[in-house]
Amino acid sequence: MSLRFPPSPNSRHGTFRIRVYPCPSVVKNSGSPTIPVPRPHLYLLAALLVALGISQFSDRIDPYFLDVIIGIGINIILAVSLNLVNGYTGQFSLGHAGFMSVGAYLAAAVSLFLGPKILGEAGGTALQQGLMFLAALVAGGLGAAFAGLIVGVPSLRLKGDYLALVTLGFGEIIRVVFQNVEFLGGALGLNGIPAYTTIFWVLAFVALSVFVVTCLVHSTYGRGFLATHDDEIASESVGLNTTRYKIVAFVIGAFFAGTAGGLYGHFKMTITPTGFDFTKSIEIVVMVILGGMGNTLGVILAAILLTLLPELLRPIAEYRMIIYSLMLIILMLVRPQGLFNFKFGKAKL
Amino acid sequence: MAAPLLQLDKATIRFGGLTAVNSVDFTVGEDELVGLIGPNGAGKTTVFNLMTGVYQPTDGTITFNGTPIAGLRVNEIVDLGIARTFQNIRLFGSLSVFDNVRVACNLHRATSPIQALIRGKSFRADEAAITKRAEELLDIFNLRRFRDAPSKSLPYGEQRRLEIVRCLATKPKLLLLDEPAAGMNPTEKIELVRLIQQVQKQFNLSILLVEHSMKVVMGVCQRIAVLDYGVKIAEGNPAQIQSDKKVIEAYLGEDHQTALSHH
Repeated sequence: MSLRFPPSPNSRHGTFRIRVYPCPSVVKNSGSPTIPVPRPHLYLLAALLVALGISQFSDRIDPYFLDVIIGIGINIILAVSLNLVNGYTGQFSLGHAGFMSVGAYLAAAVSLFLGPKILGEAGGTALQQGLMFLAALVAGGLGAAFAGLIVGVPSLRLKGDYLALVTLGFGEIIRVVFQNVEFLGGALGLNGIPAYTTIFWVLAFVALSVFVVTCLVHSTYGRGFLATHDDEIASESVGLNTTRYKIVAFVIGAFFAGTAGGLYGHFKMTITPTGFDFTKSIEIVVMVILGGMGNTLGVILAAILLTLLPELLRPIAEYRMIIYSLMLIILMLVRPQGLFNFKFGKAKL
Repeated sequence: MAAPLLQLDKATIRFGGLTAVNSVDFTVGEDELVGLIGPNGAGKTTVFNLMTGVYQPTDGTITFNGTPIAGLRVNEIVDLGIARTFQNIRLFGSLSVFDNVRVACNLHRATSPIQALIRGKSFRADEAAITKRAEELLDIFNLRRFRDAPSKSLPYGEQRRLEIVRCLATKPKLLLLDEPAAGMNPTEKIELVRLIQQVQKQFNLSILLVEHSMKVVMGVCQRIAVLDYGVKIAEGNPAQIQSDKKVIEAYLGEDHQTALSHH
């Protein structure tokens, strides 16, 4: 469509020209790609290599800065995975911290209880430790995914507020359970978890979670998540099993929350049940909303911003949380569609 | 005669004390274009919802292509080959026109969801085939020009068309159209009649049309069934229905015999 007004002096056709809907034969086949990221694996591989590269220099990075980066990375994993559920699929889950705690406890238990048996007293080589940690993370993720399945199957028939309440309840139940299981340290939590979490592992799992969510959403199958979000009845009527879509989103989301929990536990070296209460869930939900629901890049930026903000406000100690909260309120008032809700390039979503 | 494609046998549904659809016998044959009409609240949409699995019949059976559809999920019935449109258009508003059609192609996707992560050769071939098919469908209905526009930004008539295209992407044997002419002006209605006939011919399917507009129903249907208060009161070709006393009384009131002949 082109609209020229006032007429340009060069225009041969007089005043102005309006062409609204070009006839289809005129429109060139744009040949726009089916798969927006042509070789997504290359990006994943590149990200892993970059992570490996950075981890080589991690000794030279300021430890405080490194801690912040790791914190950001863990939050990105949490936000990106929750975005699959709350953003793309349109289900309102408030239980992400619950899944995170399942993963954190399970991964920590694997490292604490199985680790010494497998690696021996000496602790094994770096490679053995790495593999051990990977196994612990995967175990944590799978455990959380299983929890997601158990919670999701009955509760995903519910919508909106009801689902939010059920997932909120789940998070609280999990917390109380961990508080009362002596084997897992009770209210004191687990201590002395080996500090396996490095910048490499965090960046690798950030890359993996972004890869999985992006690849899924940019496929014919994955468009079903967005369709479920838009209109469940219409989705069913074009043959989508919306219940299954919701469960898949929930389980994948829980898996990555679990791995994020595992990374968190091996980063802080200690976990307590209260560290995963519902304020943590809310924090992740805020990242998703602030980033713009169903917008991976926006959610990543929001996760970075919301992790950095409390750190940047550290100098004004006691006013920190007040300013943080105020900023959230202002941001929501000014940009309810999400701070970073923009589309880049050709409309791909 | 071969068994009909869709058969309602004494289909009944009660909501508490209200019998919304009462013992309706009704068939749609292969390649047939059937109309279902009736005054407001006659139970037309309820019959639709029975056929698509939204409601389960209290009594009676519904068979499609030899399969009883009782107890099947809505999406499973779509898989059998019944597709429907909605009275108040239900597109996926935030998705593009192309994606609206693409989502409906999921039913005939050749690769598993895991392939979306592996992205092997078969996945890319499958995605390319789906893209081609969706674009072809858009071409047929002259919607290709809107390919990447959000579907909710389309003009009303085009949204109706897109909804039909989306149905066709599921490769149905029977297409149910729920008041497609609602909110259309006379010119658009003529367009619609042409469209319905084109769809039926080009895609070799049966169509069941629920409609208020006499112009559309009489113009396009080979056979018409009339519902009133959940009961089928008449069935026949358009000429028979137009002259049916019971229909005229129930549907148009007593003094409106001219209305039908005036379409």
